[in-house]
Amino acid sequence: MNDASVLIIEDDKWLAENYVRVLTKAGYKTTIALHAISAIQLIDKDLPDAIILDILLTGSTAFALLHELQSYGDTGDIPVILCTSLASDLSLSKLSDYGVKRILDKTTMIPSDLLTSLKAVL
Amino acid sequence: MGATKGEHERLFDGSFIDGLPSLAAAAHELKSPLSLVRQLSLVLEDENISIEEQKRILRQISLTSERALRLTSDLTKSVRLADSLFALEPINPKQLCEDVVSEMTPLFSANDCKLKLASRKMPALLVANRDLLRRIIINFSDNALHYTEDTNIVEIKIGMLDAGSTIRLGVRDYGPAMPIDVFKKLQDRLSTAPMPIHARPQSSGLGLYISSQFADIMNGKIGMTRHRDGATFYVDLQASRQLSLL
Repeated sequence: MNDASVLIIEDDKWLAENYVRVLTKAGYKTTIALHAISAIQLIDKDLPDAIILDILLTGSTAFALLHELQSYGDTGDIPVILCTSLASDLSLSKLSDYGVKRILDKTTMIPSDLLTSLKAVL
Repeated sequence: MGATKGEHERLFDGSFIDGLPSLAAAAHELKSPLSLVRQLSLVLEDENISIEEQKRILRQISLTSERALRLTSDLTKSVRLADSLFALEPINPKQLCEDVVSEMTPLFSANDCKLKLASRKMPALLVANRDLLRRIIINFSDNALHYTEDTNIVEIKIGMLDAGSTIRLGVRDYGPAMPIDVFKKLQDRLSTAPMPIHARPQSSGLGLYISSQFADIMNGKIGMTRHRDGATFYVDLQASRQLSLL
């Protein structure tokens, strides 16, 4: 079992719940933020061990959030896993400077991919 | 702030082919619901899921599929607009909105949200095509569901403008409240520089583009009003001179 904390930033409530279902079963502690503002508030309150992040969020894109996270030493070190349907348009090498360690394609991923990626980055 | 004839393309961030949203743009818009259906289906393969959870997931799959099907149906209708005739008739907006509330209630309930009609008195009839207007209000409601957070309530509002010659049907969502100073700055900017309606950041605007086309066919226009804690997307249509018998 794993007791690391994971912040899920995903504006689709049902998809976020689905991630929680998979991660909780594997022992992770999870929190959901439906938009970037809420995510920042949650991160300020309690630093997560890892972040699962959707690209297209309500109110702002994930890139604005990634910039914000990189602006501070403590948040800049949090590993980020992007879960997006835009995966084919993104390059991990270009995003690694923003703390992005893995990119998962929502259209092809299976639930265990989340666990495999988390194990790899934590 | 409304879209006028010929301005639909400005509402849509995706690419066009022969004046229509490209297949790639439509496909992109369908990715989200299809991905969700797939993810939920995969979870169902887990044998350790309780019956209650299975029922909940199956319900989510069904409602998400319906959303995707609505989009494909709207797209088809949008592409065929030029070749079709759409009869305009006097419509009771309150009755139409009540029908939409009834149709959308399962989706809202499954999201722990409520869609309600906020109409104080019987409004005048308006001139529209029932099917197209219904699609616009459903589209706005679907969009609002995604953004409503604090109150979990989405309101459909019916109002009269221009001394009763125009009927406005608006769908109000309640998102996270913007700090008052930020909101005032935004309002100041908007008052000096008219801002066109546009899609929210994570959307291509395809739904707005389609709604704008539908409104145009009915001699109406769509628009958006920002609030400190959300937004109202509306469609303005001509009031009917026929007296309501309902």
